[in-house]
Amino acid sequence: MTNPTNVKLRLSNSELWGGLIGLALGGFVIWSGLKLKLGTINDPGSGYVLFYTGILMCVFAGAIIISAVTEGGPTLASRWENVRWSKPLLLIACLTAFAFALEPLGFLLSSIPLMLLLLRLIDPVRWTLAVPIAVLVPSGMWWVLKRLLLIQLPSGLFGIG
Amino acid sequence: MDTLVNVAHGFGVALLPINLLYCFIGVFIGTLVGVLPGIGPISAMSLLLPVTLSGTPESGIIMMAGIYYGSMYGGSTTSILVNIPGEAASVVTCIDGHQMAKQGRAGPALGIAAFGSFVAGTFALVALMLVAPKLASIAIAFGPAEYFSLMVLGLVVLTFLTQGSMPKALLMACIGVVLGLVGLDSITAQPRLTFGRMELIDGIGLVPVVMGLFGVAEVLLNTEQAIKRDIINTKITHLLPNKEDWKVSAGPVGRGTILGFFLGILPGGGAVVASFASYALEKRLSKTPERFGHGAIEGVAGPESANNAAAGGAFIPLMTLGIPPNVVMALLLGAFVIHGLQPGPLLITQNPGLFWGIVASMYIGNVMLLILNLPMIGMWVQLLKLPYNILFPLIILFTILGVYCSSNNVFDVYVMIAFGIIGYFMRKLGYEPAPLVLAFVLGPMMENNLRKSLILSQGDLWTFVQRPISGVCLAFALALLIAPLLPSLRKKRELVALDEGA
Repeated sequence: MTNPTNVKLRLSNSELWGGLIGLALGGFVIWSGLKLKLGTINDPGSGYVLFYTGILMCVFAGAIIISAVTEGGPTLASRWENVRWSKPLLLIACLTAFAFALEPLGFLLSSIPLMLLLLRLIDPVRWTLAVPIAVLVPSGMWWVLKRLLLIQLPSGLFGIG
Repeated sequence: MDTLVNVAHGFGVALLPINLLYCFIGVFIGTLVGVLPGIGPISAMSLLLPVTLSGTPESGIIMMAGIYYGSMYGGSTTSILVNIPGEAASVVTCIDGHQMAKQGRAGPALGIAAFGSFVAGTFALVALMLVAPKLASIAIAFGPAEYFSLMVLGLVVLTFLTQGSMPKALLMACIGVVLGLVGLDSITAQPRLTFGRMELIDGIGLVPVVMGLFGVAEVLLNTEQAIKRDIINTKITHLLPNKEDWKVSAGPVGRGTILGFFLGILPGGGAVVASFASYALEKRLSKTPERFGHGAIEGVAGPESANNAAAGGAFIPLMTLGIPPNVVMALLLGAFVIHGLQPGPLLITQNPGLFWGIVASMYIGNVMLLILNLPMIGMWVQLLKLPYNILFPLIILFTILGVYCSSNNVFDVYVMIAFGIIGYFMRKLGYEPAPLVLAFVLGPMMENNLRKSLILSQGDLWTFVQRPISGVCLAFALALLIAPLLPSLRKKRELVALDEGA
């Protein structure tokens, strides 16, 4: 009989979760293909390739799940062991905030704080260097794009940039 | 004779001042990204894809090609001096190259890498000139079934050679196909997977996907660890290898060149596979294999020649069949498409100036690279000291601007950030992005050719097997899919598995 502790350990591995996400995506693609109509083999419809690709996705995801359950795999936590996991997390938070701020604030007002945060968060650059880089690089790029290349960057609600 | 006339015509295009400038920018940036660990040619090419919009197709594609083969040269510098591969194709150069540097022979190691690369690059170009027009004339006879099967083979080879488990790589390829199908169906004009968003009607852009998966995700991964560099500080002298070095290296350069060229042509292959294969071959042929790993110059000469020859060979399937054999070529295909050009059998006859201009520019680029990588080696060594905490924020800013400028659409910036985050988690969980990107580019073409074949054959699936070229491709693809199930072949696959994204 299988030891329940082992099963629990196997089920908590990251491979399993990867496979389950793949399976869910495959299911969604199959459903989308069916919704778009498969057509016939003589005249394949818009959903034909999607449907069969979805089936393949489920097959491959199934193989990943089976391998995860039978052979085990690293846990999610172990994937971030001995690394500075907070750095990419902070970077993701900054980029998400930037994505939300870009349209309402415009390019300049959103990219200067983004640069300053990145320069200070990854491996802190001293303030005397970080502030000029954060201000001058986006402003310089904005000037080149807007004045020289005539590319309109988002100017936001305040019309700055 | 025709070839000589065409080459002369090509030089006429490549020697235009603007094209020379773009060629120089390409090889310079290529060497730069090759030298800098963490940023590979894929990231650099995706960053600069929007820039190709501003010039003529010749200029843009000359620059993109320059980045690719330039990075092959630059990658060896970091491998030899820092023991960190500048890009994936130089991983194997670290083994003996850095040992040579530690023994005070960094100069000959760098020298043989540059000369070997030059010889291989030049050979690949001559072969490209001779093979491509002939293959293009054969490829005119290819039907949709052949194209479909070739693309399937290309994808399967890439998934076979990708790091990690094969089901994961195949799952990634399937996701790439699905993402490539987002937007209007090219036959029925029915919107697919657009979720009611107007921005998705034309599909998801290649630039935001690639910049996210390779640019942003790469930065996110690199921030996890403080990059430690063990740079060889001694002054680099005697870049010219001595007589003995040349004698020992001549064979590996020749074999690496031929092997690399043929591996480069194969769909799914490329510079990385070529460098590993060449190293294995040289070690096997050597009378003193125990020297490998302890500073054998053959371990630098062979792989460095092979990766450059493969970079040249990889242009053949793209230029003659319109099928990118690897992710870098998929990006180059993107550059062609941006300019409304379709690489394929008719490219050489319909756009001779473009094809021969690119080929001629590669000759010029190879000479530029020799100068950039030998007399100016000191500059690249200084560059290795550039702090990453400043470089990474700048890369993020450039990716944002690059994506926005390619479409003037904020939505693409969101797509890039989303793919950057997805790409980071994918890499953490052991899912490589390379099959996804290649499938993303090939997906719509595959679907189109599959549907056309089925319509033409009135639904007869045997058409894919009965047509010889198609049948052979599918048989190879099937063999590769089954191969990992055999323990001995699985071990071999693990040995050559690569990280294309680096």
